[in-house]
Amino acid sequence: MTAPFLVARNIAKRFGALTALVDVDLEIRPGEVLALLGDNGAGKSTFIKILAGAHPPSDGELLIEGNAVAFASPKDAAASGIATIFQELALSENLSIAENVFLGRELKRSIFGIPFLKRAEMRQRVDGLLQELDAHISDPEAPVGSLSGGQRQAVAICRALNLNAKLVIMDEPTAALAVAETRKVLALTRRLAGRGCAVVLISHNISEVFEVADRIVVFRRGRKVAERLAAETNHEEVVSLITGAHPDVRALEKTN
Amino acid sequence: MNVVRQSGTGVFSMNGREWSLLVACLLAIVIFSVASPHYATPGNAVTVLRNSVELLLIGLGMTLLLAMGGIDVSIGIVMGLAAIAIGRILGADGSPFVALVAGPLVGALLGCVTAAVVVLGRVPAIVGTLGLLGVYRTAVFVLLGGQWLSGLPSSLTDLLAATVLGIPVPALVIAVAYLIVWLALRRTPYGLHLLAIGNSEEKARLSGIPVIKVRFLTFVISGVLTGIAATFYVATYRNVEMSIGSTSALDAIAAVILGGTSILGGRCSLLGTVLGVLLLRILQNGLLLIGVPSLWQPVVTGVLIIGVLGFEAVSNRLPLTRFQRARA
Ligand SMILES: Nc1ncnc2c1ncn2[C@@H]1O[C@H](COP(=O)(O)OP(=O)(O)O)[C@@H](O)[C@H]1O
Ligand SMILES: [Mg+2]
Repeated sequence: MTAPFLVARNIAKRFGALTALVDVDLEIRPGEVLALLGDNGAGKSTFIKILAGAHPPSDGELLIEGNAVAFASPKDAAASGIATIFQELALSENLSIAENVFLGRELKRSIFGIPFLKRAEMRQRVDGLLQELDAHISDPEAPVGSLSGGQRQAVAICRALNLNAKLVIMDEPTAALAVAETRKVLALTRRLAGRGCAVVLISHNISEVFEVADRIVVFRRGRKVAERLAAETNHEEVVSLITGAHPDVRALEKTN
Repeated sequence: MNVVRQSGTGVFSMNGREWSLLVACLLAIVIFSVASPHYATPGNAVTVLRNSVELLLIGLGMTLLLAMGGIDVSIGIVMGLAAIAIGRILGADGSPFVALVAGPLVGALLGCVTAAVVVLGRVPAIVGTLGLLGVYRTAVFVLLGGQWLSGLPSSLTDLLAATVLGIPVPALVIAVAYLIVWLALRRTPYGLHLLAIGNSEEKARLSGIPVIKVRFLTFVISGVLTGIAATFYVATYRNVEMSIGSTSALDAIAAVILGGTSILGGRCSLLGTVLGVLLLRILQNGLLLIGVPSLWQPVVTGVLIIGVLGFEAVSNRLPLTRFQRARA
């Protein structure tokens, strides 16, 4: 088994009086698609926001390739090779595809000490990435707000690819997509893992998860209640883990 | 939000809104020329342009602020404070060159104060600058001691009345300011970051944009432009009165919105702002010449703001729902 890219230990997150996460331990390995499952409000989005540097954890630690890290901002997480595609996508609807893909780390040339955008070069790189993803967008200069859900997802994935991320986190990437677009995004997920990327996928669609995931982790009420290899579990068991009907979860919830 | 292509545009490329503004300006000129024999004179054209100088400079800064989802309703009094500094220097027979530096410097400092309150203090821009407006009003009163600063020497006036290659200095300064702001907005990472923040501050933060730095800088830029406006103000009128700048914020916001910049942020047009300022000044001047008391000027401005925003609210309703569906 390869060494984990990222280790989370005893992660907790409180928002005021509300406890969104308690004691989460997790390992994420390169080349592996890890699915995070759980009911609404289970804490999945909160957990990945901590990995993404968008929220500091209230407790616990993160290790990347064995070294403890503390992210002060999404920029820090990005610098450590973590790219996150948030549920709300975090794209700027008023900007073009290329501008979105490079937003926050633009290609620039310095003229008299002033950074000017290398617009043509950014555009070229993004055209290449879109082609690689087999995403067809008729007008690449159009504002992202005018694109379809799947096209926006492709833009967000381009952003991650462009970062040369070692860990790509996707929060419900297929939730708003039509069937054909969902297929493309799932294929993309496997392709990312095939490149040696670690992938964390949040999804509500269990069949979809079985299609792409190597490992399945279930969150419930802010706790990680189960971890299974996809090959060693099945649809029914996963459902009972999510709903809390599974004996393991019952036992766990009784002790807490 | 209205999804409008914006970033590929050239320095002077025009969209529908800008063409309509140009037509409105020309139409107003034709109507006023017919209505008043004093209107269509070279002297009056110079007056209108002259009266537009400060507002053009303040408007460029206000465009950036609104595009970022910010606003500054204290901007007119900021110009007043900078003007007092310039007036004091001139009044003490100081060098006009020192006065030239004082305006932008005071503007920058006050921009820092505004940014400290709004950006660092996390007070919503409309509330924070409204509070500063109250403070600065009193500051102007105290500094002027209830009296006008008047009869200032003409040294600064002479300096700025010069022409370079036949172009008047104010026109040159505005052209250079426009070009710099345009380049910053459309050709540097700063401009992209500003528009992203205007679209959604949270998304901008998640994208790794230094939100605080960009917002702070923008308030400072607006302050500097306002300081330059103060310089032209003092050079032109050679006095600073108690009511200085009392309508500038309203006028600037009106012109900027008229020009197609979104009050909600994320979309702006510098050329639209220029045309908006010109239309506003043409209307104000024309109404005055056909005998409407100047008391009514803010009414015209206010009606324009409400009219444009009302029109946009109605015409945006359709794209908005489609947008929400696409996001759901
Ligand atoms: N920024 C926040 N402030 C306060 N509470 C939050 C915040 N983000 C999430 N929560 C709360 O934390 C809990 C977990 O939410 P979330 O991580 O979004 O769950 P999931 O993604 O699994 O549906 C919920 O009760 C949610 O209301
Ligand atoms: Mg969620």
